Amino acid sequence: MKNLLRTLRADRNWSQADLAQKLGVSRQTVNAIETGRFDPSLPLAFKLARLFELPIETIFSE
Amino acid sequence: MTLCRKNMTPLQRRSLQLMGSALIFTVLTNLTTPNLPNPLLDMFPGLSKLIAHNGLSSGLLVGTLSAISVLPVLFAVWVVGRYLKAEPDEFIRALVVRALLWGFAVTMAGDAIIGVLVNFYLRPFPLTLLNADLFWVSTAIAFRLTLRSYR
Repeated sequence: MKNLLRTLRADRNWSQADLAQKLGVSRQTVNAIETGRFDPSLPLAFKLARLFELPIETIFSE
Repeated sequence: MTLCRKNMTPLQRRSLQLMGSALIFTVLTNLTTPNLPNPLLDMFPGLSKLIAHNGLSSGLLVGTLSAISVLPVLFAVWVVGRYLKAEPDEFIRALVVRALLWGFAVTMAGDAIIGVLVNFYLRPFPLTLLNADLFWVSTAIAFRLTLRSYR
């Protein structure tokens, strides 16, 4: 899956560590999602959607 | 939250400590190889006479020794199960499972190599008797190496 995580994070001037802290995951998890090497579960995707105040389908696409 | 030792979560730190004790426990309960250093055998010299060779006097003693050697393995499995159940980070959970598979692969490969050497030289090699430690150490190394690729 592709995602806009890197762009959305950069727009807010957040580092990977900042985003990781807000999500309660490790920085490596954020890195893995951003690079498309790991697809998050639904609960984590919802967390991201809530954090960026965007629908899940806007952040993630096939 | 990173996975450097100083920034580990309390759960990760506690699990690592428990795993360390499981590794030590494995060495201590490895009573069937008198050639390997074992503090228990130093403390109780009579023990080495009991278990040294084929002179094991009773089936009960053999059964007890084998049951003791299982305890650290069960303990280590319990520690990992407890960790996987409690770890909130799904990606780290997936990495740990992948590392466990690598640990299994390394142990099997090590066993295969040692098996050939034992048959070839007709003498025992200590590595075969520390399978559990080999498994957990190679799992830990695999985890660190995998994690590095996500820096």
